[in-house]
Amino acid sequence: MRKERSGRRLPAASRGGYCCAIPRPRAPDGAPPPHPEESVPRPAPQPRRSSLLPFYVILGVVALGGAFVLFRQQGGGGKAANTLTPVTLTPAQLQSVPGISKGRADAPVQILEFADFQCPGCRQFALFSEPLVQEWIDNGTVRFTWYEFPLTQIHKNAVLTARGGRCANEQNKFWEYHEATFAHQAEWSEADDAAKMLGEYAAGAGLDRAAFDACLLSDKYQKEVSDSYQLGVNLGVEGTPTLIVNNKRVERTPSTRADWQALIEAETRSAPVTAPSLDGASGPVPVAPAPAADSAAP
Amino acid sequence: MSVSDAAGLAETLEDRPPATRMAIAVLALVGLLVASYLSMYKLGMLGVIQCQIGSCETVQASAYSYFLGLPVAYYGVGAYAAILAVALAGVQPRFARERWVALALFGLSLVGVLFSAYLTYLEAAVIHAWCQWCVISAVLITLIFLLSLPGLRQAR
Repeated sequence: MRKERSGRRLPAASRGGYCCAIPRPRAPDGAPPPHPEESVPRPAPQPRRSSLLPFYVILGVVALGGAFVLFRQQGGGGKAANTLTPVTLTPAQLQSVPGISKGRADAPVQILEFADFQCPGCRQFALFSEPLVQEWIDNGTVRFTWYEFPLTQIHKNAVLTARGGRCANEQNKFWEYHEATFAHQAEWSEADDAAKMLGEYAAGAGLDRAAFDACLLSDKYQKEVSDSYQLGVNLGVEGTPTLIVNNKRVERTPSTRADWQALIEAETRSAPVTAPSLDGASGPVPVAPAPAADSAAP
Repeated sequence: MSVSDAAGLAETLEDRPPATRMAIAVLALVGLLVASYLSMYKLGMLGVIQCQIGSCETVQASAYSYFLGLPVAYYGVGAYAAILAVALAGVQPRFARERWVALALFGLSLVGVLFSAYLTYLEAAVIHAWCQWCVISAVLITLIFLLSLPGLRQAR
């Protein structure tokens, strides 16, 4: 093969074949291309298509395999296409570990979120997807409850920020804290002085900073956050954010208004009007703050 | 692979379908999948990131996972998709000898190598954490760059 190189740069001969395929007459060139290697016996040229076929097969296998893996990863945990998985969830379990809720206590669609302030997916969900459900919260269809699921092995400030949420809830400003903390996630995630930064965000969100700092710089709510994590483990939560809608784990977290609508309509159709109130006894803010802490709110 | 090895490879491959291009296409496809995975994570479509080695979350959650306001993984998707497209064109007999194919593969992968080197420097010196997917991507783009060299010589 090597000796035949001399012909390779002749455009008429090389175009349309890798090199030394039978030269085809080309109208614009007029004169037939020279054949310097004509006398050299050479193997018959291979059909072009077959030489590329193995390549396309390999490429296709890699593409399909990769797409399959990515598809399985989507939604976390590599679950099958089934979107809802029943979980064992008793009102007693929820009463034992109150989350932080918004919406009517007796709303027919009870949505629980297990999340970690330091998880990027939770940030995405909190800032772009969860606001879309607000209209159903406002009209009494949905009650949305936050449960901490701090991934302590990988997130150094996960527990701190989770406790901060409980501290903000003392001032009835959990959702303001929630938004500010997620919005600044990139700043505090790996910071060593995250507590100070959280105080600043809290003050910016209208919280009483002194009360917030006093709560944060203690071990207050350590137990509640730990219990919330354990509840998540008991319910089969493997990653964050995980949503549980009326006792069913949502495998694909909604990201558009249409997703939410489909999810909520499926529940309002199937759920009886007299849906059990999971934590109705605890009032609008299930983590009942001490009255003294309430008075500290501005 | 040294430059002389690459030159030798170029001569060996000259009269055949360009195997280096095929290799580049396969590597770029793998890179595209890796970058897509990291992008899906950034989009919040994955719960947790799979990471057997290193601490992907630390790297992915750091401020350095953004470049000019976009997650670096998005640039990876764009770059690998472009390399894949050019490499696929480059294995077609019609374009195999075209100079722009070789130059485009060289140019794209050179930018990719430099960007990867910057990201790897950040992992080593600034974030002090490694992300296995980022390291895999750095290896892939380096291989693609080396494989683009023989074609460059051939196209001259």
